[in-house]
Amino acid sequence: MTTKLERYFNAKSFCVIGASTTPNKPGNVVAYNFVNYFPGKTYLVNPKGGELFDTKLYKSVLEIDDQIDAACIIVPAKYAPQTLEQCGQKGVKNVIITTGGFSEAGEEGLELQKQMLNIMKQYQINVIGPNCLGLYSPALGYDTMFLPASKLKRPSTGPVSIFTQSGAFGAAFIDQLSRLGSGKWVSKFVSYGNASDINESDALEYVGGDTDTKMVLIYLEDFKDGRRFMEKAREISLKKPIMGIKANRTETGAKAGASHTAALSSDDVIVDDLLDDAGIIRVITWDQLEDCVLAFGTQPLPLGDRVAIVTDGGGAGVMASDMVSDCNLKLAQFSTDVQARLDQTFPSFYATGNPVDITGSATAEDYRIALEAAYNDPQVDSVVNICIPVIPDLDIQKYIAITKEIAHRKEKPFVTSLVGGEEADFAASELLEEDIPVFSSPGRAVRALGMLTDYTKYLKKRGVDPHSIMVED
Amino acid sequence: MNEIEAIIQKVRLTNRTALLEHEAKLVLKEMGINIPPSILAHDEEEAVNAADSFGYPIVMKLMSPDVLHKTDAKAVIVDLKNPDDVKHTFKDFIHRFENVKVEGVLVEKMVDKGIELIIGTNTDDDFGPVILFGIGGVLVEAIKDVVFRMCPTTKEQALEAINEIKAKVLLEGFRGLPAVNKDALADLIVQLSKLAWEYKDDILEMDINPVIANSSGLYPVDARILLK
Repeated sequence: MTTKLERYFNAKSFCVIGASTTPNKPGNVVAYNFVNYFPGKTYLVNPKGGELFDTKLYKSVLEIDDQIDAACIIVPAKYAPQTLEQCGQKGVKNVIITTGGFSEAGEEGLELQKQMLNIMKQYQINVIGPNCLGLYSPALGYDTMFLPASKLKRPSTGPVSIFTQSGAFGAAFIDQLSRLGSGKWVSKFVSYGNASDINESDALEYVGGDTDTKMVLIYLEDFKDGRRFMEKAREISLKKPIMGIKANRTETGAKAGASHTAALSSDDVIVDDLLDDAGIIRVITWDQLEDCVLAFGTQPLPLGDRVAIVTDGGGAGVMASDMVSDCNLKLAQFSTDVQARLDQTFPSFYATGNPVDITGSATAEDYRIALEAAYNDPQVDSVVNICIPVIPDLDIQKYIAITKEIAHRKEKPFVTSLVGGEEADFAASELLEEDIPVFSSPGRAVRALGMLTDYTKYLKKRGVDPHSIMVED
Repeated sequence: MNEIEAIIQKVRLTNRTALLEHEAKLVLKEMGINIPPSILAHDEEEAVNAADSFGYPIVMKLMSPDVLHKTDAKAVIVDLKNPDDVKHTFKDFIHRFENVKVEGVLVEKMVDKGIELIIGTNTDDDFGPVILFGIGGVLVEAIKDVVFRMCPTTKEQALEAINEIKAKVLLEGFRGLPAVNKDALADLIVQLSKLAWEYKDDILEMDINPVIANSSGLYPVDARILLK
C-alpha cells in the first residue's frame, strides 16, 4: 500500500503556487528551492505571470498542461480555499499548505479551514498543513521550508527522519542539526502543522516504512489519531528507534470521575505509559533531542547495561557513576585479566577499579591503555571517556587521535565528555567534526548511553536482537 | 442478546448509568472472571441460607441505586461470624434504609486478607478504552502507583505492566505476604481489557478495587461499572 506521504516524496512534477518575485518572501524561497534542487519538473504559479529564476510563471495552475503530482500553496489564508479548488479542478491530489491563519487563529480562520476541508473531500485531495513548513528531503531535492538558506541552514543527507507538529520547533531543530558534527543527518522532515488531513500517525507510518530512515525523531503536542499512532509505533520500534518529545505535559486530565480509574487518568500519565509500551524513547528537554541524534545516529546499540568509565578527574567520575545508577545502568566489573593489566601498568595512586581514575598525572598514553582495556573487555557493554584537559602532561592532540581511533571501531557505544574551557571546546569540535559523540558534561554522556541501553532492553524484552538495528553506517 | 447486553439493557431501562455491585459482578462472571461466592438476598431466610452454604465469615452489602457510596453510608458490614449476625444485619439494613429503593442485600463470602490491587478501565479521548493496573485499596488515589495500557491488552503487555509498578516487590512475597500469582493477575487484566474493548460503545469506566490477592488466589471484592 502506498502511504499518503510517499505520493508527495515520489512526485515527478511539482508546482509552487504563490511563487513570489520578492527575494526572501516565502513564495520566493520555495520557488528557488524547487527550481534549483528538485530533479523532477517544477512549475511556478503567480497570477501576475512573467518569469522567475528563468522559469515561466503561470497565471493559474489550470493553465498548466502537464500533470502535477504535488503542489505547495503559499498564498494568504483568504485565497487558500479558491486556490485549493483550482488544484482540485486541475487534478492535483497532493497539496502542502504552508500558510498560517486557519484553525489556530480564531473564528474566521476556523471557517476557512472548514471550507478547505470540504474542497479536500470533494476532490479527494491529500493536504499537509495548513500552518506548517511542509516537507524537506535533501536527497530528493524536496524543500518547502520557506525560510531562506541564509537564515535557516539545511543539514545534509543522513539517517534521521523528523516529524513535528510545531513548525517553529522544526525550523530551530533543523538549523541546529546543520551545525551538529558533520551536518549529515536528515533523511525526511515532515512539519504537518494543523493536521487538517495528514497527521502524526500518517507521518509515522511513512517514515516507518521508508528504508532510508534509520531513526525517527518526533515533536508532538497532542494526538489527532492516538490509537493508530501507538499501534504503528509498537511495530516500527522493533525495526528502528523512535524518540522524541511529547510536550504539553501539564495536567489537564484527571477529570473528577466517579471511579478511581477516572480520577487517576491524567492525560500525561496515560501518554507516558503508552509511549513506553510502544517502545518510544521519551525525552523531556530540547538538549536531550540533540543528544539522541548524537547517540543513536552514530553509535551501535549496546548488548547490555554494563558501563566502564575512564576519567582523569575524581569528581567527574563520581558524578558519572551517580548517573549510571540514575539511568538504570551498572558499573561493569572488569574481567580478571583486564583488571590485572590495569593494576600492573598504572602507578599505585591511579584508581584501577571502575571508574578508572588516571588522575591529574594522566598522559595521552595512559588514556590509550585505560580506554582500550575497557573497550576490549567483553564484560563491558559501553564506555564513557571523560577528560578534563587542564592537566599539564596531557597532549591534547594525542588524546584526540586516540579517542578517534577507538570511536571509529564502533563495536560498542563509546561516548566522550570533555569538560573545561578553550582546550575542551577545541577537542570537542575536532571530534564532533567526525561525528564522534561528545557531551558537555559527564552526566549527559552517561544519559546518552542510558537512552541507547533503554532501547536495547526494550528490544530484548520483545525478542529482537539489538544488533539487527543498524542506524549508523 | 447475551447476558451482559441484557444486564446493560436492564440498567438503561431504569435510567441508570451506574451498575450496582451485584450487576457489575455478574458482568465480570460472564467474562469468565472468578468472583467470591455471593447471592442477592431478598429476605432474612434467603440471606441466612446463603451464608450457611458459603461458610463464615460473611460480608453483607446493601444494593440500592440510591446508595452508590456504600462504605460512607455504612451499607457494607464485614466479618459476620454466624447466622444471628446475618439476621441482625439484614434487619438493620431494612430499618436504616427504609426510605430508599432497595434491590436486595448482597450476601458474600468474606475474602481473607491479602494485598489490595486495582484493575480499572477508562475511555480516553485520544486512545479510546485504556486499562489501569496498580496498588489498590482506599489509598489508591493518594499512592498513585498505577500503569496504563491500551485495550485490548495482550498477556505480554499485562505482565509487563504488572512488573512496572513501583511497589513491585509487594507482589513478590514481601515480608511474609503471599506472593501474587502474576500469571493469573495478567489473565484478569486481559479479561477486563477485553470487556472494555468489546463493550466500548456502552462502558465508560470500570473499577475493580480492591482485587484482593491472598494465599488462595485473586478475588475481585468490589466492582463498579459506569455506562456512557
